[in-house]
Amino acid sequence: MFAFTVARRYLFSNPLQTVLLVAGVALGVTVFIFITALIAGLAVLLTDQVTGNSAHVTLDPPTRVARVLPGAQPIESVALVSTVQRRQIRDWPRIEGLLRAEPSVIAISPQITGSGFLVRGEAVAQVEVIGLEPQGIDAITPISSKIISGSNALGADGLLIGERLAQELGLYAGQVVLLRTERNAERQLTVKGIYRTGLQSLDERVAFLSLQTARPLFDLPEGVTKIEIKLNNPTTAREEADFLAEATGLRAISWQDKNLDLEGALKSQGQTGTLIQIFSLISIVIGVASALVLSAYRRRPEVGIMRAFGIPSGFIAWIFLLQGLLIGLAGAAIGCATGYGLCTWLAGLTRADGTAALPIAPEQGGYVAAIVLTTLGAVIASVLPARAASRIDPLEAIQQ
Amino acid sequence: MTRLLEARGIEKTFHNGDEDTQVLKGIDLDLEPGEMVALLGASGSGKSTLLSIVGLLLRPSAGTLTISGQAIDGLSEKERSHFRNTRLGFVFQFHHLLPDFTALENVAFPAAAPAGGLSRQMRERASELLGRVGLSDRADFGANRLSGGQKQRVAIARALMNAPDLVIADEPTGNLDRESADRVLDLMREVNKADGATFLICTHDESVAERCTRRITLLDGRVS
Ligand SMILES: Nc1ncnc2c1ncn2[C@@H]1O[C@H](COP(=O)(O)OP(=O)(O)OP(=O)(O)O)[C@@H](O)[C@H]1O
Ligand SMILES: [Mg+2]
Repeated sequence: MFAFTVARRYLFSNPLQTVLLVAGVALGVTVFIFITALIAGLAVLLTDQVTGNSAHVTLDPPTRVARVLPGAQPIESVALVSTVQRRQIRDWPRIEGLLRAEPSVIAISPQITGSGFLVRGEAVAQVEVIGLEPQGIDAITPISSKIISGSNALGADGLLIGERLAQELGLYAGQVVLLRTERNAERQLTVKGIYRTGLQSLDERVAFLSLQTARPLFDLPEGVTKIEIKLNNPTTAREEADFLAEATGLRAISWQDKNLDLEGALKSQGQTGTLIQIFSLISIVIGVASALVLSAYRRRPEVGIMRAFGIPSGFIAWIFLLQGLLIGLAGAAIGCATGYGLCTWLAGLTRADGTAALPIAPEQGGYVAAIVLTTLGAVIASVLPARAASRIDPLEAIQQ
Repeated sequence: MTRLLEARGIEKTFHNGDEDTQVLKGIDLDLEPGEMVALLGASGSGKSTLLSIVGLLLRPSAGTLTISGQAIDGLSEKERSHFRNTRLGFVFQFHHLLPDFTALENVAFPAAAPAGGLSRQMRERASELLGRVGLSDRADFGANRLSGGQKQRVAIARALMNAPDLVIADEPTGNLDRESADRVLDLMREVNKADGATFLICTHDESVAERCTRRITLLDGRVS
């Protein structure tokens, strides 16, 4: 295509200007990619933190519904049945068996949970008690590896508590403390281990004990209060939850639904990213448009002579559109390369403790979008100068 | 033989704000094929305006124009552009070569651009034309590396690229020294004789007029 040859010549005619222009576009693309990779990395980090430390799907006993008693007469006979019974999962061994057959389920943790107080002398602290199977202590939240004193062996009267809670009550591993539960049962338990997970809610308010120890304390001789599950792919938790609710007749809640505020935060973070992406695209478009408008103006006499010689105005428009296209492609390619390089370098930076300094995901820089949008933007930017050039009046341009 | 150009009652009025300037007041002009006509007249007498109208770069306010048997008046802008490309050639006072192209590419441009590429035949034709204007050895020179006279000769070769019926030249030697000017003129005369291309040359230069086959003088918007 001859218009392509002309466009290329025009670009090479002033190499410095072209290099600067392409560099400007590349810079915009680099910003675009950096922001995209950072937002994606941040989302991955936050999601991993949640999915790594909590259940992907939680199975609860279904909430009771009001129903009409058989042989019913008027309104008085409509009664809530729920008040009579504890909410519990009685047939949990059957459900556990059912879950084991499910290939997407990688960990199952039946639990008895409730609230209580730890009492040591004058000091009292409210705690959330989690009774679980001692061999499955790490199934949902990795605890064993976070023990900073004592061990993870719960035994028959053992208790694991977080570092902050221990500090609050002045407890050390090996000491004895009284647990009084919401059912008004109480028992002396031994602090077997103290953990530090870095998650405030866990370190400050949770006490772990074995399922067997929890039974009399919460008055649940057979049942459990919930079953927590981990999946091989956390992103499918919503669909899995629907499926499991159907299969078990229990209420199933995905981690996403439990952390709706996280979803909202990620969404607004994404919107901030989109805004920055839009601004970097706009700056690219303005940069390319202004350079090409200037170029079209500088070349008025030449373009005028082309028009005088009857070169079609479409051909002249193409010269400028193709310049935009070439600048966009070159800038996008270079910007993608430098953006990837920058992100990879930043992702490799670590803090003193060895963790990554920036949660950046170089492979999620939105490269295809960057190339497509930049090229499109540059072509759109060249529409105005292309139109202006193709409408130059030959006579006016030549007489200048 | 059909008449090459037939202009009847050409008028041109420029509107500048409230002020109207009638530059051409009814021009009749005939050109026969193979003529080389000098258009003379005082500065501001309307020579360039008439040339622009004949060259289809400007529409007259009144009058009719026929070139090579084609009535021009009803043509659309696109058709006028196509007509300029295939039937007319232009040489201006300032060469306006494309600075980013070689002499040969400049010559071939009016053929290459509409065709979408520079074919081998176009190259051959362009280099033959460059030979005719004595610039065979400059074919691959960038346009910016040629002297003023050489540039104007390239511009003449370019005007001839599509074998036009009529070449319109507005002060083609106005910007050249005597020697270059003579060379350019001799060249046009030669092409005129050899190819039978018709030339309409507007000039202030008496020696240009001397080499033409006929002269027309404009006076106050009319042929005197
Ligand atoms: N676009 C225009 N608008 C208004 N007036 C114009 C325009 N173009 C030309 N004129 C006027 O028309 C008249 C003739 O101009 P033209 O350029 O045809 O003269 P010319 O004979 O070529 O003069 P010169 O020998 O100096 O080149 C001049 O008075 C000029 O001012
Ligand atoms: Mg003039």
